[in-house]
Amino acid sequence: MAEHVILFAGPMGAGKTSAIRALSEIDVVSTEAANSDRSVADKPTTTVALDYGEIGINEAEKVRLYGVPGQRRFDFMWTILAERAEGVLLLVNADADNPVETAIEYVKEFFALYERGGIVIGLTRADLVPRALIEEYANALADEMPDVMIPVLTVDARSQEEMMTLLMTLIANIELKQAVADSIGVGVGSGGRRAR
Amino acid sequence: MTLAPHLDSKYIVRGELALGGLRDLAPSLRYASLLTEDGFSVVSVAGKEFDSNRFASMASSTQALADAVARELQLGDNEFVIVAAAHGHVVQVRVDDHPLVLAALFTDKETIGISLTAARRTARRLKTLLMAN
Repeated sequence: MAEHVILFAGPMGAGKTSAIRALSEIDVVSTEAANSDRSVADKPTTTVALDYGEIGINEAEKVRLYGVPGQRRFDFMWTILAERAEGVLLLVNADADNPVETAIEYVKEFFALYERGGIVIGLTRADLVPRALIEEYANALADEMPDVMIPVLTVDARSQEEMMTLLMTLIANIELKQAVADSIGVGVGSGGRRAR
Repeated sequence: MTLAPHLDSKYIVRGELALGGLRDLAPSLRYASLLTEDGFSVVSVAGKEFDSNRFASMASSTQALADAVARELQLGDNEFVIVAAAHGHVVQVRVDDHPLVLAALFTDKETIGISLTAARRTARRLKTLLMAN
């Protein structure tokens, strides 16, 4: 069975754990701890190592879903889990401080995965702010990284249907990039699509 | 609003007291940290060469992963974590009734058994210290 390895990244409180729980067909492996930093995200627990789930997208393909902690103090987990991943599903909560800058910061952080496979951005909690225009994010990305094409969608991280749309967008980008690389005989680095 | 342990002087002062006694129990102690379970350093002793925040974050992740393995395999509550390497070992134990982890690094001059005993005693002592008003 072929498999994809996808990372869920983004700031604390963006909905990474919720998204993996919405998508996964197995019981999600979580590593949550009591949250001592309620000023950043007012929630009782926070992920401190990883979340892990799985979903089959057809009879021949499985997707492994890895969520990383949002706080930068856990960036060693970002490095460890990024080694195997082929794409990033970046969730950014639109009601946070400076969400556009945050999105760009995370894209830069995981840019190696953009080059290897792809990145898509899901804007969560967009209904809680007066305006969370996708164009703002797209324009800021275009200004910062003119040659980079990253889809931006608003999503509810708790919605299986919406997260599936985001996930399939990412996988389509990864497979397209892989097909182009195969056609011109260029590898896309480690962490590419695997067959088991 | 309750203060987080890493900002609360009660945890910091009593944590220092407890960690201060750890070296007496295990002289090969290189570094010890009391941390919140979400990876904030409350207090640390010895080992100035270590980044206390990074050590606390890694200890937090390690503890959570070990807890997850115990949970997934239905082994009951995880009691401690040991990372044993060529030149030393790390022992981690939770402080009962508090969202805290004690993580201690020992050189290879100490047996893991002595290190584990010392860490557990220190965690129990800290629990007792935190019970006092």
